[in-house]
Amino acid sequence: MKFNIKRVGVLYHIGQYFLLMVRVFKKPEKNSIYLHQLVLEIEKLGIHSVGIVAIISVFMGGIITLQLTYNMVNPLMPSYIIGLGNRDTLILEFSSTVLSLMLAGKVGSNIASEIGSMRVTEQIDSMEIMGVNSASYLILPKIIAVVFMSPLLFIISVTCGIFGGLITGPLSGVVTVATYMTGITTMFVPFYVYFSIIKTFVFGFLIATVPAYLGYYVQGGALEVGRASTKAVVNTSILILFFDLVLTQLLFK
Amino acid sequence: MIEIKNICKSFEGREVLKDVSTIFEKGKTNLIIGQSGSGKTVLLKSIVGLFEIDCGEILFDNRDTHRMNFKEQKLLRREIGMVFQNGALFDSLSVEQNVRFPMDMFTDMTMKEKTSRLNFCLERVNIKQSNHLYPAEISGGMRKRVAIARAIALNPKYLFCDEPNSGLDPVTSILIDALIKEITAEFDITTVINTHDMNSVMEIGEKILFISEGLKCWEGNNTQIFNTRNKKLNAFIFASPFSKKFREIRQQEDDE
Repeated sequence: MKFNIKRVGVLYHIGQYFLLMVRVFKKPEKNSIYLHQLVLEIEKLGIHSVGIVAIISVFMGGIITLQLTYNMVNPLMPSYIIGLGNRDTLILEFSSTVLSLMLAGKVGSNIASEIGSMRVTEQIDSMEIMGVNSASYLILPKIIAVVFMSPLLFIISVTCGIFGGLITGPLSGVVTVATYMTGITTMFVPFYVYFSIIKTFVFGFLIATVPAYLGYYVQGGALEVGRASTKAVVNTSILILFFDLVLTQLLFK
Repeated sequence: MIEIKNICKSFEGREVLKDVSTIFEKGKTNLIIGQSGSGKTVLLKSIVGLFEIDCGEILFDNRDTHRMNFKEQKLLRREIGMVFQNGALFDSLSVEQNVRFPMDMFTDMTMKEKTSRLNFCLERVNIKQSNHLYPAEISGGMRKRVAIARAIALNPKYLFCDEPNSGLDPVTSILIDALIKEITAEFDITTVINTHDMNSVMEIGEKILFISEGLKCWEGNNTQIFNTRNKKLNAFIFASPFSKKFREIRQQEDDE
């Protein structure tokens, strides 16, 4: 039987992914055009995500505050633990990992479907014939935009989450503003922030590249573009969780 | 002039092109015709470099694409203009931005020069007052014309058109054919068109290559094609009841 590398599946895709990355990181044809694309991608993938990130974070901050109150606070525990717990939960996992999972859905599916549609309508072929490095032109600005916007969205998320707790706690009467703020400023570990920012860089890279890869090599029509989009969200989410595990083990050891 | 020698191409063991050789002449509209699935698009895409051929040679004015390094291949691509079946205009760019795209990407022209060239290209394809519209907002015929304008933006030496008439009404098809023929003669370029539209064959077929099941079956021009005794070609040309009738009348005239 003839050996067919495509049958190996995962190995084939890993190889193809890295070959695509080599093409993506080649020197751009014209810096000014790429810079213009970068600004558009920052707006489309980053700025347009601020709203949803802020809304989700405010609600999650409030929910975490209430959950901490109902499950952890007892006469032996100081009530400032609510603010402290909310802050650390947001910094360590929610605003980095959970938010990245959400972005994998919003931004990832957008990237996969956009590039996939361009592939099936021969727009990518058209670029290639002109002599444009389509992989670099289409994917590089997206990678830079997502990688550099992710830490910014992380900071916005943490801020909004803390604000959400600040509204929910006193309004529901479980904690006073002063106690909550004491918790926020108590036992702050700056390393947690560095750790999460490192994670958001890695997750941002995955959110941009995995869907871009799946969209770039899509074959067929609208149905396949839809499939690629779904696959992009699923695969990116799994990879985010896997790298969360790896980075936590590596950086906290 | 483009010369192809003994081109073969297969996909997962299935041979799509079998030893195809021909010459596409400069300043002429060269047509590749054949049934759907005969290998026309694969041949066209192999010539422009979208598919890598398994064997054979492709020479653009005696320059062998296989002997070129990456930089030379990139430079060659800037001499090529291509019009895809559905236009393949960039959805996110307006008509004006689509036509200006190759100029923005590969030239150091000033804005004034680009605008002048843009206006010339759009006027050449009879596009007026649609500069700021997006591909989704224009008709199929206009999309094809914008695609032609984009293809000629950098003064190409070679123009490739993949089924430029598909999905168009007969009147618009004739206009597109006439436009391609005019541009070919005006700029003295080598044009290769992939079609199965017999109107195009009759109107602009200065050189015709007929492909069937991946093999070159016949070549000639639009006057020779109706006198051929090639059975496969005759079956292709006279497939419709209208053309069958036309053939019967012509045979009667010949007999008389």
